[in-house]
Amino acid sequence: MQVERIKFERTGGFAGMRIARDLKLDDLSDEHASRISELLDDLDFEELPEQMINEDSMPDQFTYTITVETKKGEHTVITGDASAPEKMQELLQLLDRLARSRKKQ
Amino acid sequence: MHKHFPVNCFIPPHILKNIATKGTESQKNLAISTLKVSARMSGQRQALADFAAAAFRVDGAGKDRVIYDARNGSSLPGTVVRKEGDASVSDVAVNEAYDGSGITYDLFNDVYQRNSIDGNGMRLDSTVHYRQGYDNAFWDGEQMVYGDGDEDLPVDERLFNRFTAALDVIAHELTHGVTQFEAKLTYSQQPGALNESMSDVFGSLVKQYKLQQTATEADWIIGQGLLTENVNGVGIRSMKAPGTAYDDPVLGKDPQPAHMKDYVNTIGDNGGVHINSGIPNHAFYVTAVELGGYAWEKAGQIWYVTLKDKLTANSKFQDCANMTYRAAGELFGAGSIEQQAVQKGWTEVGLTVDGGSTTPPPDGGGCLEALFRLIGVTPAKR
Repeated sequence: MQVERIKFERTGGFAGMRIARDLKLDDLSDEHASRISELLDDLDFEELPEQMINEDSMPDQFTYTITVETKKGEHTVITGDASAPEKMQELLQLLDRLARSRKKQ
Repeated sequence: MHKHFPVNCFIPPHILKNIATKGTESQKNLAISTLKVSARMSGQRQALADFAAAAFRVDGAGKDRVIYDARNGSSLPGTVVRKEGDASVSDVAVNEAYDGSGITYDLFNDVYQRNSIDGNGMRLDSTVHYRQGYDNAFWDGEQMVYGDGDEDLPVDERLFNRFTAALDVIAHELTHGVTQFEAKLTYSQQPGALNESMSDVFGSLVKQYKLQQTATEADWIIGQGLLTENVNGVGIRSMKAPGTAYDDPVLGKDPQPAHMKDYVNTIGDNGGVHINSGIPNHAFYVTAVELGGYAWEKAGQIWYVTLKDKLTANSKFQDCANMTYRAAGELFGAGSIEQQAVQKGWTEVGLTVDGGSTTPPPDGGGCLEALFRLIGVTPAKR
């Protein structure tokens, strides 16, 4: 999957603060860009269902909306802390950290 | 993805529940894990909570806390690091989770005669050090979960401290458990904002109870101590003055309204559950200050009875206004100063209470009697 850009949004949480960040893979360090690509490939991201969150939302959990853009198009997945599968946790953590940091990665 | 769980295929849930409550330790553990997997797969959050309650309950037991360490991973609950009665450990987050869930248990037990989250001695499980850079805490339907803030960022970029640092955060999460067993408020839009508000109300009350502060002495800040010195703010929310807790170049400004005219319509945050909770939060604050003294005694009692006996899954702000007013009438008398204080609380946020009849109707006001009245039939006297 040739990823060009990832749109990451995090809402909810105890503080209820929204974080949103557009991450162009070309702007990231080689280490981060290649790890993100690997994780997306491992997950078969394009084949994941759009809604990966329990309807019965859990109090104070974050909701993540991840849109991955490739040359072919884009795919969005919405998930939450405990509803995300174990395999997705590293991706969430990495994107979340990039979104929170104000410095160039 | 489809997995097979053979035990679940052969043993019906009611038998598993019996084993979970009455079996030997190893039988219990197997039954509980099977029930949990089964409930998780079918998305039955309430079923999961009921199983957890059954599993964690020791009938007649009092305070029973277990603290786990996720060791920066995302698997729950993690490794046991402190159990009820154990001495304090060197890890401050562990001790904060232990002490904080203890004082929360005490308020509910000593003041409202509620034995734990489910009212029946449910064990209080907490996990600390969840993931890395996790600037949050949550209730997952069975337990409390705490992150360490944004410790993964350089010191000058950090905005949040560890989430166990604020006692009201701990009490807030535990109250989500109480709500799950009582009003079961849907976590979206106004019912979700009421769910959040109940957690803030009892979160703040636990802190006031610990500090033995009166309503006028309390700061009414939620999450005081959570923000680092890099942030211009005193906490996450203010019940006294919603919308004023922080105003910061990075975090932005506290978005909470204090009045219905400023209600925020949004799809984010489950329909603004952490935003519009400012409205019922402020109504509680005004009521408590109007009454004076310790807020947990009268205002807290009114709100607790409302949460336990009056609100339902889809209750909205107006319902909460009406029901707290009614509860105040039942507890302290129609027209009492307590009932007037509740009315004032809601008036200040732009809601007019509709108390209806504050005295119970004849014949006990049961559903059947109400139905008879509705269709014009006079039930026979018993």
